Amino acid sequence: MTTSQPRFEASTLATPEAISGLTEQVMAFLDAHGVDVRATHHAALVLDEILTNLGTHGDSPDRPARISIVVQPDKVVGEIVDAGAPFDPRLAPDPSLDLSVDDRAIGGLGLYLVRKLSCTLEYARLDGENCTTFAISRGKASPEGTQNNGNS
Amino acid sequence: MEIHDERIGDTCVVTAKGRLDGGASATFADKVGSLITSPNPKLLIDFAGVDFVTSAGLRAVLLLVKRVKAAGGSFALCCVQDSVREVLDITGFTGMLSIHAARGDALAALAG
Repeated sequence: MTTSQPRFEASTLATPEAISGLTEQVMAFLDAHGVDVRATHHAALVLDEILTNLGTHGDSPDRPARISIVVQPDKVVGEIVDAGAPFDPRLAPDPSLDLSVDDRAIGGLGLYLVRKLSCTLEYARLDGENCTTFAISRGKASPEGTQNNGNS
Repeated sequence: MEIHDERIGDTCVVTAKGRLDGGASATFADKVGSLITSPNPKLLIDFAGVDFVTSAGLRAVLLLVKRVKAAGGSFALCCVQDSVREVLDITGFTGMLSIHAARGDALAALAG
C-alpha cells in the first residue's frame, strides 16, 4: 500500500507576473505541508528560474507549462513540462563568479542557481516537450523556523 | 515590491520590501536608478524587508552597482535576510559587493 504524498499541480504561462503568482502558491503549499523554510525557498527559486528561462528563451509564449510539486519525506520534487525549444538546463555554462563588478556579466546566474540548489536535476525531451525534474533536499524544521545556510 | 527612499547625510538610502523577482526587477532598477543623479553618488539598499531574490533581481542589483561605479560613487547593501544571503553567497555577490549586517555599519562604511 502506498502513502499519498501531497501534490501541487498547475499550468502557467512563463510571464514574470504569472511566475511570481505561481511561486507564491508553491511556497504556501510547501509551508502548509511542513516543509522547512530553506527547502521551500530553494524549491520556489528553482521553479522560478526554470520558468523564467523558458519565458526568455523558450519561444513558446502562448503555450502554458505544466507544473507539479510533490512533497516526499526527505525531499521536494518538482517537474516542469513545456513545449519550448529543446533545452537541457544541465548543459548551460557556469558563469564566472570571481570577477569584479566592472567585469561581471549581466545574467547567466539563473540556471547556475538551479544546478547549485537542486540535489538532482534531470532532463528529457519527450513527445516534443521538455521535461525537467528537480529535487530539493528537506532539512529539519527548526523551532525558530530558519536554518543556517550550508552551501559550500 | 515597495520601494522607499530617503537621504541620510550624503547617502541615498533605499528601503525595499517584498520579492525582487522577474515581476519586480525592472521597476526596481528603474526607480532606484532614477535616484542616481549626482556625481560620486552614495547608494545604500536596505534589504531587511526582501525575502525572495531571483537571478532577475540580482541582475537589477548588478546594473545599479555598475551605474553607481560608472558615476564614481559607492554602493552598499545591508540587513540581508538569511535566505537572500545564501543566494548572494552562491552567486559570488557576497565577495563582489559591500554588504553589512546593520544599516549603521553600512552608512559608516559609505561615509569613510
